[in-house]
Amino acid sequence: MMTAVLLALLLSQAGGPEAPSESAAPASTVTFAPAPSPLPSLLYRGAIWCASLGPSPQVPSGRYRLQCDTSTRRCLAVPQNELEADGTESERPLERTSSCQELPQGELRQLLADGYTFVPAIAEAPPGWYRDERGRVMQFNFDLHRRVWLGGAWAPLWRTGEPRALSRGRLDFGIIAEVPDGERMMRRFTVLDTELILGEQSSLDATLFRYDTNVRQDKPPIRVTTFLGKPRRWDFNFDMGAWLEVLRLEMLRRGGLDHIFYTLISGHLTLDLWHSRDLASYVRVRAGPSLEYDRTNSTFALIPGAAAEGNITLDSNGFHHVTFGAEVEKLLLDMRVEGRPHHPERLRVRAGYELILLAINDQPLSLVLEGRGQWRTDLLDERPVWEWSANTGLRFSLWAPARRSAPLAAAR
Amino acid sequence: MLALTLALLLASASGETFPICFDPGNGLLLGAGPALQGGAVTPELQAGILLRTEWKSRSKGTPWLNTHRLFVTRVRSGTARLGLTATLYEGNLRRHLEEGFILVPTARPVRIPFPFDLTLAMRLGHYERRVWEGPGWTLETGRAALLLDPVRATTARVWLGVGPAASHALRSSREGMVHELSPFTTLLLDAGYETENGWWAARVTALAGWVVGLDGGMRFRTREEVVLERLLIAVNDQPVWLRLSAAHAHADAGGSRMDEWSAGLGLTVRVWSAR
Repeated sequence: MMTAVLLALLLSQAGGPEAPSESAAPASTVTFAPAPSPLPSLLYRGAIWCASLGPSPQVPSGRYRLQCDTSTRRCLAVPQNELEADGTESERPLERTSSCQELPQGELRQLLADGYTFVPAIAEAPPGWYRDERGRVMQFNFDLHRRVWLGGAWAPLWRTGEPRALSRGRLDFGIIAEVPDGERMMRRFTVLDTELILGEQSSLDATLFRYDTNVRQDKPPIRVTTFLGKPRRWDFNFDMGAWLEVLRLEMLRRGGLDHIFYTLISGHLTLDLWHSRDLASYVRVRAGPSLEYDRTNSTFALIPGAAAEGNITLDSNGFHHVTFGAEVEKLLLDMRVEGRPHHPERLRVRAGYELILLAINDQPLSLVLEGRGQWRTDLLDERPVWEWSANTGLRFSLWAPARRSAPLAAAR
Repeated sequence: MLALTLALLLASASGETFPICFDPGNGLLLGAGPALQGGAVTPELQAGILLRTEWKSRSKGTPWLNTHRLFVTRVRSGTARLGLTATLYEGNLRRHLEEGFILVPTARPVRIPFPFDLTLAMRLGHYERRVWEGPGWTLETGRAALLLDPVRATTARVWLGVGPAASHALRSSREGMVHELSPFTTLLLDAGYETENGWWAARVTALAGWVVGLDGGMRFRTREEVVLERLLIAVNDQPVWLRLSAAHAHADAGGSRMDEWSAGLGLTVRVWSAR
């Protein structure tokens, strides 16, 4: 409906304004061709001219952005301001357009003399952004690896042999930033990654700072050549990176008792099993030690741990995300504590899916579905059982710019 | 530009110019005056750093209108109500759009009008110590709220934000220390208006909602505060406002979570706040 109104209004410009004699005014009559449907878009990286084509009732300023194609002798023309709902030009300039060069009136006269047609169009939009018929631009591509997030979820819990705990809610918060270092390394910083579970079996898991990298090696360190049949070379890459966590607090209330663990520092080496071309998505394994203080039992422990994990963005616009992981830890050099086994162990598994539902003022709101399980023997006077949690909730993200690999709207 | 300059600066009889426009959201804050609390009148001192910034988001291309308040501290002397309130950081970060909208990411994106600016309101490290109550203190480690602003002013000196807030606080008393959490179960209102020349400034903050203890218990509490300021004089170009304030807390004041009314009258200086 909106498109039809706009097309009608733009079409009504056909036969356009007469050119006044002043040099700042259009040099000649500009006749617009009928508006095609859908309206074509100017190319973001193409040369764009700014020109006065003469005022009209719909575009009183008479100012347009032009992109001309010599092979088709066609110029796409877009008013320099956004349009109102009734199709008339507003006073709001188009946002996020590329720069344009003023087209001299002599050049415009030449275009008209050469028989160029002027076609109503939509202005260009940068990668990751979409522009509607009124020229309003909106972000259509989100990088959830660069954001400040705030979320809430329902998080029921099932513990083997116990009644299910349905009155549980989760609150999560965090800041993440990804910084590519050339094409071969991605540095990732996560700050205040916090997850608070309220209600039955409450818990708090907060990490002050996390740093990790994904690396693409320049040369494969191991190359194997086979000579069975035609000689072939097999390259084996070891894309190793680092993973570091500083000050993690884990508080759990189980069996009416608060269990508090401070992981002072963790350092792991990572090995990518797979990563995307932009290094934003990955599947990897990591392993290394952690130093932990168990405040409940006033004991330090050295914890060797290993994990397999993945974080994959499924689509180019960043709307679908899958995360998963399995982690195992064993406490060593810990004091013997009555009420739990010596050298206790932990096993955690998780899988999640995040889908951007909509964006409010260019800030995405996403649906989060997650399943988790854990089995641990480190809780005092608590029998080790599997506990499973299913989380369903919403997450609001600030920042979340367009992905570095965002395509142009026309390429979608 | 000339008219603006003339409006901001006037010439004295000797021909020297002096500022007549001030920004109540900027400057080094110093204040003093009597405060009435629980039937007792005590002198109160106030200090802090106020900072107002505006920057354009690189990722979104739209302006952020920000008001920051750092280390704002209030000290009440006298044996009857000796106490201290200090906030490490408080900030309102509002992203302003000419035309707010909700994008529904269908194949052909749908744009639904959304006539609000979004504000991120944060408060970190809010500490309160009431010596007259005996041992104990309250520390709100953090509060974050997402506020909707229907006024959508193009300046940071006018704002009206309403929305849910999440917070965590520690409350220490003779009985021990308890955690209090508000997982978006609190509604926060923050509104303010300052005239363009800064002669008048008013701010209303209110919150109401439930906090949850780690033991699962829930408790309802409210807080409201109104502040009205009028510029009186400027000494050596440093403006002095008359400040009138009133506050109320329901089941939230002090270690014993009392109801409480308080009021204040004083003078505040904002050094280096001339526009």
